[in-house]
Parts: sequence; C-alpha cells; structure tokens
Amino acid sequence: MHSAAKNAAVLALQQQALESFVNAGFPTTRLESWKYTDVRKLAAAYPDWLNNIPPVDTAGQPELLDIPNAIHIAFVDGKFRPERSARTLPSGLLVGSLDELAEAEPDLVNTQLGKLLNANSSGMVALNTAFTESIIALTVPENASFDGPLYITHYSSTAETSSHPRLLVNMQANSKLTVVEHFSGAVPAIVNSVSEVYCASGAAVSYYKLQQEHADSWHLAEQSIRLEHQATANTTTIDCGAKLARNQLTVDLAGEGAYLNANGLLLADAARHIDSRINVEHNAPNTRSRERYRAILADKARGVFNGRILVNQNAQKTVAELTNRNLLLNKGAEIDTKPELEIYADDVKCAHGSTTGQLDQNALFYLLARGIDKREARNLLVRAFAAELLTGISVPAIAERTQTALQGLSFGDT
Amino acid sequence: MLLEIKNLHVSVGGTEIIKGLNLAINAGEVHAIMGPNGSGKSTLAQTLAGRADFTVTGGAIIYKGENLLEMEADERARAGLFLGFQYPVEIPGVSNVYLLKAALNARRKASGQPEIDSVEFMRFVREKAALMELDQKFLARGVNEGFSGGEKKRNEIFQMAVLEPDFAVLDETDSGLDIDALKVVANGVNKQRDGKRSFLLITHYQRLLGYIQPDHVHVLAGGQIVRSGDKSLALELEEHGYDDILATAKA
Repeated sequence: MHSAAKNAAVLALQQQALESFVNAGFPTTRLESWKYTDVRKLAAAYPDWLNNIPPVDTAGQPELLDIPNAIHIAFVDGKFRPERSARTLPSGLLVGSLDELAEAEPDLVNTQLGKLLNANSSGMVALNTAFTESIIALTVPENASFDGPLYITHYSSTAETSSHPRLLVNMQANSKLTVVEHFSGAVPAIVNSVSEVYCASGAAVSYYKLQQEHADSWHLAEQSIRLEHQATANTTTIDCGAKLARNQLTVDLAGEGAYLNANGLLLADAARHIDSRINVEHNAPNTRSRERYRAILADKARGVFNGRILVNQNAQKTVAELTNRNLLLNKGAEIDTKPELEIYADDVKCAHGSTTGQLDQNALFYLLARGIDKREARNLLVRAFAAELLTGISVPAIAERTQTALQGLSFGDT
Repeated sequence: MLLEIKNLHVSVGGTEIIKGLNLAINAGEVHAIMGPNGSGKSTLAQTLAGRADFTVTGGAIIYKGENLLEMEADERARAGLFLGFQYPVEIPGVSNVYLLKAALNARRKASGQPEIDSVEFMRFVREKAALMELDQKFLARGVNEGFSGGEKKRNEIFQMAVLEPDFAVLDETDSGLDIDALKVVANGVNKQRDGKRSFLLITHYQRLLGYIQPDHVHVLAGGQIVRSGDKSLALELEEHGYDDILATAKA
C-alpha cells in the first residue's frame, strides 16, 4: 500500500523541518545545551554519509538481548526488516513511512507527530524529521497493555551511513507499556534518533534505552515524554558506546499527580565523549520526580551531565530529587556536571546534589585485605557503583548487558 | 615461627609512627598488643595487612618464612593473613555473600583447591553466621551497608570464621561493643583457637582479655614495644594505667 502521493501534513512537516535546518544548521557550542558537545566533525561528514545508501539486505545483525515475550522490531541501517522482526505485530502498532502513517492514522499525525519534539527543539531533531525513512508508531488502547515489552533494535551494518530512527508512542488512559530501544553497530555510522511518548491519564510507561554503538560512531538521541494526570514514567537511558554520544530526555509532568523516575548511566573510556541531559518540567500540582544519573569514565573520556528541574508557579506540592554521582577511574577522565533547579512555586520539596570522585581507596583496601586481587576488586567496585542504578530495571537483560559492557571498559592504573 | 617482626620502622604521611618494633609469634599463640591512643597500634595492624600508603622505612617482617613486605595486600590475605578492621568499610552494591565467596575462592585458588560448591558454601556460611548470631538476611545486603557498629565488628569475626586464616590481626575489634556483643565476638575468636592458628589482638582496654586469654601481652608506646609479659601484665595495666607502666619502662 505504497501511496505515491505525499501526504500534505507530512509534506508540510518535513519541508518546515528542512527549512528550519537550512536556516539554523547544526547545533553549535554557542548554544547552552550544546556547549560541551561539538558536532563540527559530524557536520563535515554528514552530507556524504547521508548520501551513502546501504544495501537493503545486509546480513549482519545485533547481539540481541534476551527479553522474555518481547515484541521485536528490527531495523538495520535505518530500514525496517520485517523478516527479522516479530511475525505478528500487535494491532495499534504500525511501522512504515510517515506517509503510510498519515494514511492509516491521520489523527496521530495531526495531533501528535512532531508536537513534543520539533524542528525548533534542535537542528538534529529537524534533520531527523526531514530525513526519517520509517517510523514506529503505536497506540496502546485504554486499560490495555501489550503481551510483552516492545523491543526495538537499531543496528548499523554499513559503514559511513546515517539513520534517523523515529518512535511515536501514544498511550491512552490507564494503559501500560514497556519499551526498549537498543542501539548497536558493527561499523561507524551516524544515528540520529527521536522518540516522542504521550501518556494519557493513569498510563504507565517504562522506557529503556541502551546505546552500544560502534566506537567510531556518532549517536544523537532525544526523547520527550508528556505525562497527564496520574501518569507515570520509569526511564533508564544507558550510553556506553559511540565516539560521541548525546542523549537528551525531556519530561513534561503536565497533569496533577504525575510521577517520573528517571535514571541515566554514562560509561566511556578511551577519548570518547558522552553527553547526557535531562530536562524535567513540573507543570501541575502534586507531581513528583526522582532523577538519578551516574557516569563512569576511564582513560581520557569526557562526560557531560546536565540535569534541569523546572517547577512552575502552579506546580505546588511538587517533590523532586536530582542526584548525580560520577566516578573517574583515571586522572585523564573528566566530567562537566550541572544540576539545576528552577523553582517558581512556594510549597515544594526539591533537592539536588552532585559528587565526583575516584574509587574509594578504603573500600579497595578492604577488598584486597580479603584476598581479592586488585583488578577484580576494582571491577567489583565499579560494577557496584553501576548496580545501584540498574537494580530497578524491569528487563534484567539490560542490566546484565550493561555489566558486560562495564567489564570491557579499559582502565589502567589510577 | 609464624611471624617475626624485626626492627620495623613505618611512616605515615612522612611521620614516623613505628620506630623499631620487634615481635615474634609462634603458631597457635595468642598475642595482645595494648597501648595508649597514638602509640602506633593501628598502624602496625594495617602495615601487616599491606596498606600501600603506609611506608616501611626499615626492618623486616617474615611470615611463614617469607618476606611479607614483598607481598601485596591481596597476596597476604591469600597466604592466610586476616585483618579484622577497626572501621569496617561499607560497600553498597557488593553483597556480603558475594564478597565472602569471592574471598574464599581466591584463597582456595591460591592453594590449588577448586572453587567451593555453591550448596556447600551456603551451608557453611549459614552455620558460621549462626555462630556469630548474625541474621541470615544480612548475607544478601551490601557489605556492612547500614550495619550498626556492633554488627560491623561481628561481621569481621564472621568473615574470619569463614575464611579460616592462619594468622588473624584483630584491630580494636572490642571497641564500641556492648558486653553481649563482646561475648559473641570473643566466643567467635575462641572457637577458632585450635593450637595452630595465631592471633594478634590489638586493644586499648583489658576488657576483651577477660574473655580471650592471651599467651603474651605487649605494651606498645611511642612506636616500640616497651614491655612484654603474660596475661597478668594486662591486669597490671588495668590497675595502674598506662602512665605508671610507661614511666617504669622509661626508667
């Protein structure tokens, strides 16, 4: 059912995105939210990589997470691969071009696509909107849930190509969903992902992102979640791959009683750069949020954390707690961290804190004094530091894979 | 002889704390080192265990016929040396049971034994935990995480019971314990006395030695052992305090 005609709404959206990008260009370090992440090299490579068209039938595939009852959706080099995906997709789930989506679900396109993240969000979102080839769009009906977690894999198997993954989740009242976005690759690529999640009253989403791109890849991802009355979101974003990665999560606690529990983990070694940020807006009374972000950096890795919590004037009785802890395993590793609270309501309970340090030498000596060798003792402490964030993940395979990635982190003597 | 310390000098942060200490411990013996605060007791304990930021500037330590100072902290532990910490460290995210298993298997591997069977290990660990009157639930918790002072000390002796060292240095294990906890700890140590295993008890007070009978008592002051004797020396200290003994020693 490929329709040749471009849908008018989609055409307008994409044209506007392209225009916006042509005017503003790639984000520069002059922008506050891109201050530490310089994408000039990506910008130089981008036109060629965008024009490199990967073959449609590449054989490589990712090392899949073992997730019981998963509904798997496989993308390779930005293209949907139905033969590698779940044989039957649940009703309400569509994978196709924006035009196909517009034909099947015009309301979704008109009211939700590009409403949380649009061309004004950043140049990267504009590029995604202009060039995304296919979107995963789903509606979870009222009081319903899928039979298992939605497991989306984005895998890069053709070198020097680009992809623009796009996800749109529409959760109706009191529905439930667990979604896992898993990025990995065998070759250097540019992956520029955008995810929008709407949670109507009482809906509950668990959103997990695991990023294990190739060591010479660029990975940029933005997620935006809107939570209506009593809706809840549990999120964990884990970035442990790519040469340069930036993840930005924005959450709008729009309805009274909405709740967010957001976790983030950054792992990097060598001279890699990972930028992770979260922007939470409390826009209704009695909303609660907890943000916990941790970084583990080795060698000459560079980390960036920015956490901003905004409490608007009407968001009385807000409870928010943001913590950021960073472990620097080598002298050359570095992190720029900035937790921010912006509070315009007067009856709120908000806290934030940030600590950065090396492995606890007393703890290390304690383990050595029990006969555990230095390498194992250090691994144990590093794993423990990450484990505290991973224990709440309802998909154990994600925590296990992350711990495996940690084992592979190279750190010499501190 | 299990351990021989000869003319040991140790500096911490550029300051000499141990200044020519001599001590010999035979297999099966229990020695107590007593001394006022700042005399170098804990420095000695941590030096024996191999703390890297303590600098040995002179002397020798021979353990089981080998140069202990050439061994790293973890090698010493695998060679059967155990330090019961004065201030046990909290390590959230590493469970007590995981630490014990890793520690036990490290020792077994070093002596050419295979890893312990999981079922056998749990039975063994539960038995030792009961001996130390530790709740089973604590096994799954993070190492010393949220433990009271007394629980931490009991956990140290529990770890010793599981690891079955040849030589245990207990650094002020009695400090901060109420009388019931002290009895549990002393009982744990006494059960480990088998005529072969040796102990070095480091303590400020005579109290512990009422429950664990030492073969030898030494007084440490100013980084040296200034007097040695049998268990009656501890009572003498209790009666007259350190000042008298130190004055006599200096005279």
